[in-house]
Amino acid sequence: MAALLGPIGSGIAAAPLAAAGEGADAAAVAGGTQPLGVALPLLLALGTAIAAFLAPTDRLRRAVALVGSLGYLAAVAWLVRAVLSGGPLAYRVSAWRPPLGIVLVADALAVAFLALIAVVAIAALAAALCDPPDAPTYHPLSLFLLAGATGAVLTGDLFNLFVWFEVLLIASYGLVGLPNDAAATRAALRYAVLNLIGGAVMLVAVGGFYATAGTLTMADLARRLAAPAAWGIDTAPVLGLAGLLIAVFALKAGLVPFHFWAPAAYRAAPAPAAALLAGAAKAVGVYAILRLTFTVLGPLRLSTAAGGPLAGGRAVGAIGIALLVLAVASILLGGVAALGADDFAGLLTHSSIGQLGFVVLPIGIAAVAASVTTATVRTAGATGGDIVYLGIAAAVVYTIAHGLAKAALFILDGALGEWAGTTHLDALGGLAHRSPAVAGAFLLAALTLVGVPPLAGFFGKLFVLETALGGPRPLRGSTLAVALGGAVLTIGYVSRAWSAIFWGRDGPAVSSTPPRTAYVALALASTLLVFGVGFGPLGELATAAAEATVDTAEYVGTVDPAPAAPPEVGDA
Amino acid sequence: MTQYAFAVAIGLLFAAGTFLVLRRDVVRVVWGVAIIGQAANLYLVTMGGLSGAAPILDGTARGEYTDPLVQALVLTAIVIGLGTTALALVLTFRLAGTNDTIDTYEVGE
Repeated sequence: MAALLGPIGSGIAAAPLAAAGEGADAAAVAGGTQPLGVALPLLLALGTAIAAFLAPTDRLRRAVALVGSLGYLAAVAWLVRAVLSGGPLAYRVSAWRPPLGIVLVADALAVAFLALIAVVAIAALAAALCDPPDAPTYHPLSLFLLAGATGAVLTGDLFNLFVWFEVLLIASYGLVGLPNDAAATRAALRYAVLNLIGGAVMLVAVGGFYATAGTLTMADLARRLAAPAAWGIDTAPVLGLAGLLIAVFALKAGLVPFHFWAPAAYRAAPAPAAALLAGAAKAVGVYAILRLTFTVLGPLRLSTAAGGPLAGGRAVGAIGIALLVLAVASILLGGVAALGADDFAGLLTHSSIGQLGFVVLPIGIAAVAASVTTATVRTAGATGGDIVYLGIAAAVVYTIAHGLAKAALFILDGALGEWAGTTHLDALGGLAHRSPAVAGAFLLAALTLVGVPPLAGFFGKLFVLETALGGPRPLRGSTLAVALGGAVLTIGYVSRAWSAIFWGRDGPAVSSTPPRTAYVALALASTLLVFGVGFGPLGELATAAAEATVDTAEYVGTVDPAPAAPPEVGDA
Repeated sequence: MTQYAFAVAIGLLFAAGTFLVLRRDVVRVVWGVAIIGQAANLYLVTMGGLSGAAPILDGTARGEYTDPLVQALVLTAIVIGLGTTALALVLTFRLAGTNDTIDTYEVGE
């Protein structure tokens, strides 16, 4: 494994210096004209959402959604290219200077998540066009969800993040409640109540950050937290407030113990909406965790004045431990619950909880490694630093592989329901010889969850295990054991689903041609094979994302190349 | 003195909201959520300082002013809270229609 990872590992260690130089150039250029391309995906999603909402006929709504989603994909593709070749870009809304105005920041981490969201959105749209959900509000709501997710990923402001989360969530309540029956209403209401409480908690954290640090622009926050004494910031409340934010983000990502809304909501939502929620909306929670933990809080050292076990240490260490607890609980509980699920949707939702645990596990290890590295995180050659990069890259690769696979599986779940009339595991059987397309789509997506080469999920799993293996010594054994145990659980529920649905006694009689949505799932699942065989671009994207995540200085410089100095008298 | 009054008010609102969220009646749960949201808004206002001055420089004197940023934030948060509370009430109404009950125990899974 180490040999295979060698080139990637060395690339991770060597590249930040080059990237920093490019970033400075990009910032200088941005001083003249604003890069509108950063705001374009957001404007496209929001504009077409409103247009689709106002469109009078169903045909027009579908056309608007198609144009909007394809335009969105093109805009994101342009942004990915621009950021990977020219460094991060910032768009200052209304040309206000950063600490005062809202900034949209596109760095490698943001575009990696945008790329995932764009692909999932196109697949969900294709599924919705093949098998239209019988509600006129589906397309406007899914585009609003897209706008919310895009805004949350691009924004450089903590309060703005709250606003975009609310946009995303309001659209998802609508999508979950779309079927208008008893189960969907229950699920939507539970989802809404839990997330409204989450929203209030996030508001409290945002207010607390403003009171303690005097700013809500994430770049400015990161800069001030790097030198808390100069800005008169008390570090102890910052850690507590960050904990509140992590809890809220974990709620969005559906991690144990904040997962209670997820199973019912995904089961109730129409298949394309469930694909969007599982593939795109959850990823936004992961993005927020990465951004907060490393970019904003990475430089923060807790002051020694308060005493206690954390005094003098890095804040990321404490957050890393909390994330590890969430991750371990999610992997084990999600995996066991998926093993015991009795229908395909239930298996998928619980599997999502477990798989998100696999995403957060390397983030937690990376955070702890960042705190125990004596030198700064970026010092080349320090093994702790390498693990930080590797852990974040693992989380990015795993999120993308899992997002694509789970979106394909949810679309397939909808197709199965239409084809066979049920998705109950006991009722189904013998579908393998009925349609190789359906069986192929399931295999590609499910084996990605397991992590079988040459699928993209293999690299996700490999990096997660490699991170666990190279993590700080006290964590090494336990995290590795949990990751391996979780992998075994994954194999268990995937093979259970395969044998229940595709092998064995024939279930209900099915027509010879599966619904067209099954081919959408197959197309989406095939991308996993493409990204797995040609892993280069995805690996580069993840490596660049990992560098961008920990490189607070570059992020700060992108947002504001000439920030104000701390005040002489420390009254922040 | 003002800060104590605010602290007590915020504490009571959070307590009342939490109490209501834990009820069986879904309408009360939604009210509880709304109250928790308002408590968070009130808390947000106090984060800008409680000097009592207007949140604007009136141009006549270079005197005191309260930080206007939190007030702008709270306005946004109030609007979002209005929308989400209305949505939650609509969902409650639909729950009564589709499940024939608004008791969380009877609604079940």
